[in-house]
Amino acid sequence: MHINILKEVKSDYMGRTGLTILLSLLALALLAPLLTHYRPEDYTGLIFQPPSARHWLGTNDVGQDVWTQLLYGARNSLLTGGGAAVLAVLFSLLTGGSAALLGGMYDRVLMRLVDAMLVIPPVIVVILTAAYLKPNLLLLIVIISVFLWPAGARMVRAQTLALKESMHVMAARSFGGGRTYVLKRHLAPEMGPVLTAIIIQFARRSVFMEAGVSFLGISDPSLVSWGKMMQDALQFTYLDVWKWWLLPPGFALSLTIIGFTFTGTALETVMNPRLRKEVHHAGD
Amino acid sequence: MKGPTTVINYLIALVLILSLNFILPRLMPGDPLQAIYGDEAIIAMTPELKAELVARFALDQSTGRQFWAYISSLLRGDLGYSYFYNAPVLAVIFGSLPWTVLLVGLAIIISTLIGVVLGIESGYRRGRPLDRALLGVLMFASGFPDFFAGILLLLFFGVVLGLAPLAGATTPYAGCGGLTFLTDLFKHLALPLTSLAMVRIASPFLLTRNAMVISLGEPFILTARAKGCPDKVIRYRHAGKNSLLPVVTATGMQLPHMVSGALFIEIVFSYPGMGSLLYNALLTRDYPLLQGILLVLTITVLSVNLLVDIVYTRLDPRIAYAY
Repeated sequence: MHINILKEVKSDYMGRTGLTILLSLLALALLAPLLTHYRPEDYTGLIFQPPSARHWLGTNDVGQDVWTQLLYGARNSLLTGGGAAVLAVLFSLLTGGSAALLGGMYDRVLMRLVDAMLVIPPVIVVILTAAYLKPNLLLLIVIISVFLWPAGARMVRAQTLALKESMHVMAARSFGGGRTYVLKRHLAPEMGPVLTAIIIQFARRSVFMEAGVSFLGISDPSLVSWGKMMQDALQFTYLDVWKWWLLPPGFALSLTIIGFTFTGTALETVMNPRLRKEVHHAGD
Repeated sequence: MKGPTTVINYLIALVLILSLNFILPRLMPGDPLQAIYGDEAIIAMTPELKAELVARFALDQSTGRQFWAYISSLLRGDLGYSYFYNAPVLAVIFGSLPWTVLLVGLAIIISTLIGVVLGIESGYRRGRPLDRALLGVLMFASGFPDFFAGILLLLFFGVVLGLAPLAGATTPYAGCGGLTFLTDLFKHLALPLTSLAMVRIASPFLLTRNAMVISLGEPFILTARAKGCPDKVIRYRHAGKNSLLPVVTATGMQLPHMVSGALFIEIVFSYPGMGSLLYNALLTRDYPLLQGILLVLTITVLSVNLLVDIVYTRLDPRIAYAY
């Protein structure tokens, strides 16, 4: 599929919205130190402050600035999402690609394993593993990616198999195209959209899992995280502080997931030939 | 072809889950008994109890024997002992499983029904304002993590408006029966159910909509139009019915998401199901209970998915030849 994904996704209304959301969140996360005077772990001495000029979103139960925590939480969320997604895609590329290329017994055994892993609910297993291992950020990324990759391996395998047999690759090879040439001119552009779609799907799921695990209080307690902020704030709903402490991380998390969903759906529409063109049916 | 391979997949999945459950506590540094039961419990144990537990888990023997001891105790329905609740894990779990089944079952039925109907209407009007609006709204709603949707509903209806109860599944010590009990049950169920169903409508909706778009291009629709079938009949009987197949598998695939979503939502609403139990087990570091909960949940999900897979082959014979 030779598609310029960025161009296609940008031309779609939903894709544009999704990309805008994700890029602004990324900017906020990267520019966090410029956007606030505090560090996330700073104690300002004033607890449960309502929003003011000094604390844009007020302070929490131990006097930390909520706006600062929100910004640094974005870093951890995006880092977990991106890290786990890339790692999981590498796993799927390695397993799916090698299964398709080597074939035989190896392919059959590996794919049987993938099929079995696909039916295991990942969130539940991640919770179980995290409860035992009490992971830091890096370990959490590894755990999430270990339980995510099977979904990608199937798609990578199917795509690689189709490519291996496809006429234009055969033609390129028969005209003396070397391995790197075929990889660069034919395989990479064909696999690109599929891999991007998998990465986006993985990123969405790992952002959610990170939030869920920290919401349950089983990730590193020193980590600033939206899930943890919500869990803490939920204890104080009776104090009427939820408006500026509980809602911002929740909306930030929802916005991140919506950003991924929109971009992913736009990409899927681009890639599915039957949905791609606006076909007008009799009922339209 | 499909039948036996599917069953084998699920068996392998089961073995993987059991091995994970077996290996995790034994991976931890230090005394495996301490990892199985947690730090707090080990302090309270008498030496005799420790010796008995070591013998029961065969911890003084080879790994193979330990695994055998683990599997055979599972087969006897012994998931361990929850020291926080001071009861066998299985009994504790069966106390809260019905609430989760009620919540998840109703949420699946409601979200699938609404999703399919909206999907049919939306796919039929592809590209028109209603379709665009539905697509945007549902995609937006599905972006909300279920527990945050729950928090929003709880804050709005429970805290601000005071319309719904804030926690629990029934009013404690109300002692009412019959119709009052049912209304009370429904009042407590309404918010968790709405938040769980709301974020899940998008999946059956999208599938039905896409399948509708594809079936509407088929020749039999043209035939139906040519013989003068009314619009509604074409929409539901011809195109709609043929767009249902992917939804059946999707419902099965949704179950794991539903269950994990329900876990978080139950925590938000303090609904006395598996989620709240899991949260308590995490807070009190009741590891046998934690393992038991996750094992029971996974096995439930696996069995329902297996059932869906088998039903699906019956519904669409083409699948059986696809392998």
